[in-house]
Amino acid sequence: MREPPLSNCEKSFLLKAIREGKRLDGRETYDYRNIKISFGTDYGCCIVELGRTRVLGQVSCELVPPKVNRPTEGIIFFNLELSPMASPAFELGRQSELLIKLNRLLERCLRNSKCIDTESLCVVAGEKVWQVRVDLHLLNHEGNIIDAASIAAIVALSHFRRHDVSIQGDEVTVYTPEEREPVPLSIHHMPICVSFAFFQQGTYLLVDPSDREERVLDGMLVIAMNKHREICTIQSSGGIMLLKEQVLRCSKIAGVKVTEITELIQKALENDKKIRKEGGKCGFVESMPQQWITAFKVEKAPVDVTDVEEKAEGILSRAEPPAEAVSKPVLWATGTAQIGEGLESSWRDMEEEEGQVEDEDDEGAIDDPTLAVTQNIEMEDISGKEEKKSDVDVVVLSDSEEEEVIILEPEESRIHTRSKHPADSSATKTTAGKKKRKKKFAL
Amino acid sequence: MAGLELLSDQGYRLDGRKAVELRKIQARMGVFAQADGSAYIEQGNTKALAVVYGPHEIRGSRSKALHDRAVVNCQYSMATFSTGERKRRPHGDRKSSEMTLHLKQTFEAAILTQLYPRSQIDIYVQILQADGGNYCACVNAATLAIMDAGIPMRDYVCACSTGFIEDTPLVDLCYVEEAAGGPQLALALLPKSEQIALLEMNSRLHEDHLEKVLDAASKACRDVYAVLDRVVRDHVQEVCTLLGE
Amino acid sequence: MAWVRLSEAEKVYIAHGVQEDLRQDGRSCEDYRCIEVETDVVSNTSGSARVKLGHTDILVGIKAEMGTPKLERPHEGCVEFFVDCSANAAPEFEGRGGEELGTEIANTLYRMFNNESSLDLKALCISQAEHCWILYVDVLLLECGGNLFDAISIGVKAALFNTRIPKVRILEDEEGSKEIELSDDPYDCIRLNVENVPCIITLSKIGHRHVVDATLQEEACTLASLLVSVTSKGLLTGMKKVGKGSLDPESIFEMIETGKRVGKAVHVSLQEILNKEESLGKQRQKVGFLG
Repeated sequence: MREPPLSNCEKSFLLKAIREGKRLDGRETYDYRNIKISFGTDYGCCIVELGRTRVLGQVSCELVPPKVNRPTEGIIFFNLELSPMASPAFELGRQSELLIKLNRLLERCLRNSKCIDTESLCVVAGEKVWQVRVDLHLLNHEGNIIDAASIAAIVALSHFRRHDVSIQGDEVTVYTPEEREPVPLSIHHMPICVSFAFFQQGTYLLVDPSDREERVLDGMLVIAMNKHREICTIQSSGGIMLLKEQVLRCSKIAGVKVTEITELIQKALENDKKIRKEGGKCGFVESMPQQWITAFKVEKAPVDVTDVEEKAEGILSRAEPPAEAVSKPVLWATGTAQIGEGLESSWRDMEEEEGQVEDEDDEGAIDDPTLAVTQNIEMEDISGKEEKKSDVDVVVLSDSEEEEVIILEPEESRIHTRSKHPADSSATKTTAGKKKRKKKFAL
Repeated sequence: MAGLELLSDQGYRLDGRKAVELRKIQARMGVFAQADGSAYIEQGNTKALAVVYGPHEIRGSRSKALHDRAVVNCQYSMATFSTGERKRRPHGDRKSSEMTLHLKQTFEAAILTQLYPRSQIDIYVQILQADGGNYCACVNAATLAIMDAGIPMRDYVCACSTGFIEDTPLVDLCYVEEAAGGPQLALALLPKSEQIALLEMNSRLHEDHLEKVLDAASKACRDVYAVLDRVVRDHVQEVCTLLGE
Repeated sequence: MAWVRLSEAEKVYIAHGVQEDLRQDGRSCEDYRCIEVETDVVSNTSGSARVKLGHTDILVGIKAEMGTPKLERPHEGCVEFFVDCSANAAPEFEGRGGEELGTEIANTLYRMFNNESSLDLKALCISQAEHCWILYVDVLLLECGGNLFDAISIGVKAALFNTRIPKVRILEDEEGSKEIELSDDPYDCIRLNVENVPCIITLSKIGHRHVVDATLQEEACTLASLLVSVTSKGLLTGMKKVGKGSLDPESIFEMIETGKRVGKAVHVSLQEILNKEESLGKQRQKVGFLG
């Protein structure tokens, strides 16, 4: 199922907000959403929540013969799955571009940077090595999958304990967790991906884009760093052009963010270790407080609402009062009445080619309440203005397969009925009796 | 690889180049007559062939058509005999798909797609011999092929790979240097405006060195631009002479 | 474009021309277009060749790898063919579009080489039932201008001529385990005997006559073609009819005779050129695609 496209007014709203330095959830431009890490009962299982984006990471291992050209190294295998649970846009079984991109990015970030010591995974050179498999599942998609996935992967790997192995001569003994304590993997460093979203051809920059912001961005830059300020991977995507200064600035910001996140991860890991040592209950069930009143509490979004009331009053005062929409019902016959006048039939005007009049775009709609024009004189001005705009052609609102896209605009009849929402984007015009214009309809 | 020094004390690399020297670049445009545009480039031992078809009507489903721009469709494939070990599948594996996506992204930014709404431009790149710098050779070859096809672009797209050994950035890595595992950066640049179309980095590099490496890479891309420009001008001169103008 | 669309008038024009032994580019029915062959274009391989036949461009690379011989033929090496119709040749070949044509050509090559005399497979055996050389012949189709099979077979023959397989020695250890030693000397290699390697000649029936080396336009007018695989001595190793139309048995006989004649001529000139190229030795300037 294709996800519903973002409407034009939402897009322009988001872009305008970003231009003013505001984000939908009240964050600053360089702020991350809340990161919550919880562990499962088994070692190597964790769920990372970045805002509402959730990724489940699970690490498992088994003994396999090594690769032919690398007989003394273990094998690490990463796999990220976009489950349909996360978003209706993801379909099972189809390899989409996004999936390939994310998987390759994760592979490069974690494997090529050698964060795990693969030589330590070797049991018998040339015959048996540990194959560590990291499976990541996206449970909910609210933007910025790659950051959450990289955090989940590295947390799961740090949390994981593999079975202890001892070698006597030719004999290899694998101990179960009951016989001997399982051994953690040796991790050199923790690479974490930080995503930067660029808007307006690179003029504005946001860290940790949410789902909506991801849909209006021009391009993205992902930098993977560890806390020693070593860059593990850089990847630019989307079709934008970057400048060297932007890249350097992003890397500095990434350094700061990665330090914070690494601290958080260390704290979470220590916490979990403490709980397990004390014998307390651990696992996902425990991390979800069921019986408390605050179990389903949603955090307040820190949006700036200081002068909302004055602004709203200002807009309302400038707007015109809604017109008298209710007119007396006209009785035609018993059981048939008419309230108000219907819109004039405009089907026959569809064939007219000249004099295109376009529905006003949503750009200016937020500011001006309406262009409620009631007189013919003003209407001429408007249609003049709109004819200039008619160079811009149809506005495609969806990826429909139809050739022609037509934009509906609510006609205003002689009794000027206004649309119910004053901040609506539709411009209303009067229909002159005889003047024919071409109207465009949108679906 | 004990004993193989990537950078000797005198500053020479394995193949005798200095740290900032590019490999020898030889290129030719208009290799195939049937395609709209084609180009062949040899960067040292890496040989890449690029072919452009278009702009033409969208093949396949019409729903892919964009109403205001052209769709850029790429495919990156390596010949099975191009690498030291024989490759089983020429394309379709993860790495080739990733390269395809990167190429598409690079050229969507560079080509003036607004001039061809509802059409499709196909760019097919083939690696005949892989000796390091595959992606960069592809980008350079594709730039020449697009020019040969007459499709307008914002600027040349020049790409170069850079590594970092012992505090020195090495430019235009060969296969041995890439396989050594040090940090590698692939940069696709529009030379006149110094805008980065694609930036890709692997392996660990300390943040403080990033600027040095980026500078070296940009300089190398500008050198590549000088070579490609020469090739294009020579080709145009040759064609004009043959046409008798 | 792997195929072109022709109007009826164009088809009639071509057919009438062929009747009179006149083709679009002035050739006669049994003439080949100018063939350019160059060997050793790709250095990663054991042998390679590039063939340019009009607008058809083929690159053949051969890699020799060590492996175990087949169970039913323990004293022979093997040859594996793989044909990649790259998207360069035609946009239809993008993704998996070229697989069908590729497998068809590869199967034809298998059949043509599937006999005792074409290639001396026993020379590829190192130690019986344990080690042998496996030759991976990879064909890359770069541009499609008609007459693919001929060009590919010429390319394969040239590449096989160019192949150099390093000599191998088997050392026996004290415990009886064998070690294989590859000679490091680049000149110490075995060459393959390509005397009996066949070449495929495609004879396309247009109207009442048949032509050799059809271009894309002529292929569009062809009802049926006959692929004949001929060795340098004029022996047939394989035959295949392709196309939707039907062939009269008499015309098949004529086509075979033509194929043999033309095939012998092709082999003679190809061998001459390959020998000449070889004799240039080190002074030869490698042109590749840059020329």
